[in-house]
Amino acid sequence: MSKPIRIALTKGRLEKDTVGLLEKLGFDCTAVREKGRKLILPVPDANLEVVLAKANDVITYVEHGVCDMGVVGKDTIMEMRGKFFELVDLGFGRCKFALATKKGYDFYNGYGIKTIATKYPNVTRSFFEKKGMDTEIIKIEGSVELAPLLELADGIVDIVETGTTLKENGLEVIEDVAPISARLIANTVSLKLRHAEIDRLITLIEENL
Amino acid sequence: MKNYDLITPEGTRDLLFGECAVRRDIESRLLGLFIGCGYSEMITPGLEFYDVFNLNSSYFPQENMYKLTDNKGRLLVMRPDSTMPIARVVATRLKDAMLPLRLCYDQTVYRPEPALKGRSDEISQAGIELIGSPLRTADLEVISMAAEALSSFGLTYSLELGHIGIFKCLVSHLGVTEHDKETIRKLIETKNFPALNDMLDSIGNNTVTTALKKLPALFGGEEVFDKAAQLMPIDGIKEVLDELREIYCEASEICGENGTITVDLGLVNKTDYYTGLIIKGYLQGHGDEVISGGRYDRLISEFGYDVPAVGFGVNVNGIEKAMAKNVQTKTANGADAVVFAADGCRVAAFKEAQRLRAQGLIVENALSDDLDTVREYAKEKKIAKVVIVNGESKEVEE
Repeated sequence: MSKPIRIALTKGRLEKDTVGLLEKLGFDCTAVREKGRKLILPVPDANLEVVLAKANDVITYVEHGVCDMGVVGKDTIMEMRGKFFELVDLGFGRCKFALATKKGYDFYNGYGIKTIATKYPNVTRSFFEKKGMDTEIIKIEGSVELAPLLELADGIVDIVETGTTLKENGLEVIEDVAPISARLIANTVSLKLRHAEIDRLITLIEENL
Repeated sequence: MKNYDLITPEGTRDLLFGECAVRRDIESRLLGLFIGCGYSEMITPGLEFYDVFNLNSSYFPQENMYKLTDNKGRLLVMRPDSTMPIARVVATRLKDAMLPLRLCYDQTVYRPEPALKGRSDEISQAGIELIGSPLRTADLEVISMAAEALSSFGLTYSLELGHIGIFKCLVSHLGVTEHDKETIRKLIETKNFPALNDMLDSIGNNTVTTALKKLPALFGGEEVFDKAAQLMPIDGIKEVLDELREIYCEASEICGENGTITVDLGLVNKTDYYTGLIIKGYLQGHGDEVISGGRYDRLISEFGYDVPAVGFGVNVNGIEKAMAKNVQTKTANGADAVVFAADGCRVAAFKEAQRLRAQGLIVENALSDDLDTVREYAKEKKIAKVVIVNGESKEVEE
């Protein structure tokens, strides 16, 4: 058997959903389910090697070709960018990027430059750049909802799933920025040098989505 | 004030001994191949005027260049590429030279990369430019040289061919803005099927959009051409497909042992001046292409001399990385002998060292007056011989 294909999975929910998908395809993922603290795990009957990593690192490993493929959210792809192929929309991990403000705040009114707090400065910049709107972007690491409440920012750009956190803090979505879901990505060289194997896997996955 | 006198800038590195030997070895193999095919080496300045890279079609985004100013305040850049400076030379000093011109180079280029990504800002590139021939033979010459360059490193490789004409022809039938064309190009380049499908669905549902949706999936061997012909019953496509197929078949016969030559009709590079054939080379162990090239028939005319050209560049750093992972690379050559001068015999010792070097040995002069120290030194550095020169007598210790 040839060297296994290495696939990096974003730890957490995307990892669980991907393992579920692989099991649906009939592969034995016992090693991944019972991983303990191991970070590299075999799925022998698929000739796969699963690598567990943080979202941003999935992209880094795939870009450098040390992992052939990866499963990562569109949110991370939009923020990090990079050079890889984005092959399949896996359909799970659905949510969206949205612009939210304090309830009732008229965001687009007035001539003042608006301040936006976000964990995703690149996504935010390109969203407002397309509108031809100058904004001041402040990077926040934790709960972004705090920034408008503390009056540091006029609005936030963040991932919204159900909107409960926003609602409970008196914020509301005023505009959708982009839909998000999990994506299957591949290194540009791996896809070419191991075309047959990767193609077989992708066809299987697409048939079972 | 913080001093940065002990480290090198991010994206740069010192190459010592073994690493240096590997780089020189790769470079000399490539240059040997190029020169053997009749190419003449040239060197262009590391600093160029910004304008050289800021032509009408603006191939290089300004944020991708290191910039500085000369003493008249004019904007300079650290050369981000070698093809454009060579195009400049061809359109000026070589304007009256007989065609075709076969030129090659081996020099560093500079590109500011994002920090902490593990990429180099200083890249060693070797490549060729075949100038003045629009012929298929010229394309094949360049392809076969690229295949030979890749195969010479003893690693699994693949050389991929594409043709920008397919994409250009398809989008010309779409009737969308330049901006939308660029978005579509980007999505095809990154094989971003989900977004590409969404974008094309919003434009319409016809043979052209269907063909564009499939374009990034059209890569592999010769079967790709049949699939493509079926998918694209569109004016102008057949000619381009036939042209590429002929090139592919001939190239496979010339240099494609066991399927190492492949096609990808979805090769549509950014910042590229390519007008026809596109070439990419991949090496196992490096996550990015190591060869990039193609036909650029209009680039030199932007410098005022209308002449066709085709060529490729090799990313030497990429090959270094692939080799470091896969093959036992050689270390720097150590000395074969060290010559020790007994008291008062310095001149004789130097002459003896010269004589041995003339025989092709690597010979060091001992820099100690104590013979035991020199023996110890030779042992430590794995130098096989200690030559002791004492008056007329020479004694060799193994």
